[in-house]
Amino acid sequence: MSTVATPAPLQLDISGTARVPLSRLVKIEMRKALDTRAGRWLVIGILGLVVLIEVIYAFAANDGDKDLQDFIQIPGAVLGYFLPIVVIMLVTSESSQRNGLVTFTLEPRRSRIVVAKFLAGIVLALGVMVLAVVLAMLGTLLGIVTGSDPSWSLDGNLVFSALFLSTMIGIFVGFALATLIMNTAGAIVAYFAYTLILPTAVGLLSLLSDTFEDIAPWIEFNTAQTPLISSPYSPTGEEWAQIATSGAIWLLLPLALGIWRLMRIEFK
Amino acid sequence: MINVEGLTRKYGAFAAVDDVSFVCQPGRVTGFLGPNGAGKTTTMRVMVGLTPATHGRVTIGGHLYHDIPNPGLHVGVLLDASAQHAGRTGREILTIGAQTMGLPDSRVDEMLDLVSLDQTEAKRRLRNYSLGMKQRLGIAHALLGDPSVLILDEPANGLDPAGIRWMRGLLKGYADRGGTVLLSSHLLNEVEQIADEMILIGRGKIVASGTKDELLSSAEHKTSFVTALDNELLTKALQAKGFTVSAAGTGLRVEAPPVEVGTVAAEGAIVLTDLRSADGGLEELFLTLTEDSQRDDLPADAVQAPAVTEGAQA
Repeated sequence: MSTVATPAPLQLDISGTARVPLSRLVKIEMRKALDTRAGRWLVIGILGLVVLIEVIYAFAANDGDKDLQDFIQIPGAVLGYFLPIVVIMLVTSESSQRNGLVTFTLEPRRSRIVVAKFLAGIVLALGVMVLAVVLAMLGTLLGIVTGSDPSWSLDGNLVFSALFLSTMIGIFVGFALATLIMNTAGAIVAYFAYTLILPTAVGLLSLLSDTFEDIAPWIEFNTAQTPLISSPYSPTGEEWAQIATSGAIWLLLPLALGIWRLMRIEFK
Repeated sequence: MINVEGLTRKYGAFAAVDDVSFVCQPGRVTGFLGPNGAGKTTTMRVMVGLTPATHGRVTIGGHLYHDIPNPGLHVGVLLDASAQHAGRTGREILTIGAQTMGLPDSRVDEMLDLVSLDQTEAKRRLRNYSLGMKQRLGIAHALLGDPSVLILDEPANGLDPAGIRWMRGLLKGYADRGGTVLLSSHLLNEVEQIADEMILIGRGKIVASGTKDELLSSAEHKTSFVTALDNELLTKALQAKGFTVSAAGTGLRVEAPPVEVGTVAAEGAIVLTDLRSADGGLEELFLTLTEDSQRDDLPADAVQAPAVTEGAQA
């Protein structure tokens, strides 16, 4: 009847097509983190803030406190605080800006996009960290100009705990909140509630109750991380255990739920 | 090429798509037509794996979408032209797509040329695009990987008449080269002009499918509009045969198919200046078939004197 003999094939030949390599997906996700005004200026702003504080510190601090060690604590604090927002925007924009429709049709295996975003966040964080260390060195040089005789030696524990580990934990927390909430504004609010309001509330409760003060580091992740960012930068066995238990509550649990949700959510 | 097999998608008790099956052939443009909320978009979302099916499945060229490696190279998809980061430029959006698929950046310029977005426009951010420009960009994005299957949801939405004509030519040419095109619309005349085959959907169910001619021939023509040089003579001749005739404008409305009216006129040697079916063709058919899924009553019932409400004088 209306059957038309057509030379076109009814089968798609996919034998010659390779899967999109993960490395390419990571590269794309890094590009997506930086190719919007919001993403680019956030990263520039973070680095600018590091520069600003380094310069102020070089002029304001006592000459005896201007070792590389001192300067390197500055990016540690700034990055750990603000880099997670870059990751939050990278993940939540798929839903808030709706480009997830395209992202997940070009790579329908969502787990690969999740991994790519995770790796992109880590690579970006490492890159910003290296830049921040360079800025800390420039700050130390500026310290010489303003009259110090700095020590260039570095405490490995400080670099690992206060800079690397605390920044990475921040990135992971940002990733967990982003996947769980999947809305840019909501996730950023939740992140500030988690980093600002929660530790303040715990601090107040700890003042009121000694029992709570003992329990707090076991259940509150910010409190548990204090040993990472304060001298001597090497948590004891008990402190590591506190990081692990509170981390399970505030990082692993939301991360697991968030990824589970991201795998199922309908991107509209 | 696209094979929808018993597809059902339920949200709670509500079936957005209810046991839908159809096939899109290569070398043809298939139009997917239905009123708002009929299930077109949901069906297309299931096709590309964004929405899981409750029952049934869709294969494209024999594969589930999920199993197609680097799917952008095989299936071009445009579900919503606005579903892109508003802060990215048009060029950046295409570049991300091209790089994901592993294509050279020159492909981006080719596609911009194809959809007639110039370099200045390509540098603007998506939030500053008109709907028509977004559609062009979306079509460019779908065509990036030179796919053999195209799935486009409401692609003509927002295009000006020249844009619609351009898209018609583009898709026809694409199908003539052996490509498979599925495009949805809620506007009949858009699809009627482009599609070789049409699938009509209402309330999640397929209500009719086939070529335009097949659809029309299946419709019953029971009423005609006719005008003769001598209307009175024709009225008498028709009434003699037992047909109901009434005046309609400058002509007559007859409760009989055009072929009967023509026969009567020929027998009586009456000169006709106009004779056509009163059933309005595809438009009427479309409205009838999707009647129970229309949101609005037909105009005759809907037109009433506007009620005076409080604040109307303000």
